Amino acid sequence: MSNYIIPSLIMLLIFYSLIKKNNTYNSFVVGAKSSFDIVLTSFPYIVAIFIAVEVFNVSGLAVLFSDFVAPFFEFFGIPKELSQLVILKNFTGCGSLALLEDIFATYGVDSYLARAGCCIAGCSEAIFYITAVYFSKTKVDKFRYAIPVGILANFIGAIFSCFICRIV
Amino acid sequence: MNLVWTGVMLVGLGLLLVNNVDIAMTSILDGGSKAISLSLKLWGIYAVWLGILRIVEETGLDQKLSKLFNPLIRLLVGKTDDYTKNQISINLTSNLLGMGNASTPSGINAISGLDKGSRYATSAMIMILILNATSLQLIPTTVVGLRVMAGSTAPSDIIIPTFLATSVNTLVGILLVKLCGKIFKDRC
Repeated sequence: MSNYIIPSLIMLLIFYSLIKKNNTYNSFVVGAKSSFDIVLTSFPYIVAIFIAVEVFNVSGLAVLFSDFVAPFFEFFGIPKELSQLVILKNFTGCGSLALLEDIFATYGVDSYLARAGCCIAGCSEAIFYITAVYFSKTKVDKFRYAIPVGILANFIGAIFSCFICRIV
Repeated sequence: MNLVWTGVMLVGLGLLLVNNVDIAMTSILDGGSKAISLSLKLWGIYAVWLGILRIVEETGLDQKLSKLFNPLIRLLVGKTDDYTKNQISINLTSNLLGMGNASTPSGINAISGLDKGSRYATSAMIMILILNATSLQLIPTTVVGLRVMAGSTAPSDIIIPTFLATSVNTLVGILLVKLCGKIFKDRC
């Protein structure tokens, strides 16, 4: 079903543009040109985040940290097998999808852990990555309460994910 | 940001120096090359979506969207100019449709539209950020795709739980931003 939605919307849009007598091709090209700008301004931030994520994982800090917080997470009903996913999800979307595939392989794709993991991965985005990239065009470097709020909201989302997957 | 980045780098590199110094440098450089391959992939995605979004803008559809979202935008970020409103509407729509990285360009534009050149993020900016960080999508297309590839017998089983969870964290996020906005006044 969802495979049909976006292609049909694009088709409708092009059709609408035709009726409006808009030069659709020119609009597309002008828009596509602005992608240079976004890629160039966001690139340094992406490198910074990726280096930190790489060091975080490879050094074993990710495992140490998730073992450390696992008892706290378990208190809120998040299984210890998922604590690393909950933490990594704050830093990187792709990295946590790789971790999710490991969970599929280890516990089976239809297991409770895999379903709860999917729910955790699907209900939130990487707050550190998003903050770095979304503010890349501005001079803002004091994010104030943005990151704590993002982490807390997604943590509550993770608790709820583990709870809801237990009953359905 | 600075605190977390510095902390992770210092402790992580410290651990690597003690335990596994051989892979320390490769892992740092790996971060760089992964960033470039992601950026290249995103470049293609951004080019396509920015092209399509430009058609949306030139046909005036973004203004129609923005009229539709106007009450919600007023409630969430307060008063702002038309350009920013349009960008926020596009951002919300692409988030809801689960267009993934397609929502990034409009998110960046919306936040720079709210920017007044200050070093401090305003609560309106943080609201847009949190809406994106808590993810609004109706259908988690990427995760469902992964489940199909992993041979799940019921790949779409997680759609409803994920929708409920994302509604919970989005609501919590909105309330927390509103609350923090009351406690900590915007600075300039």
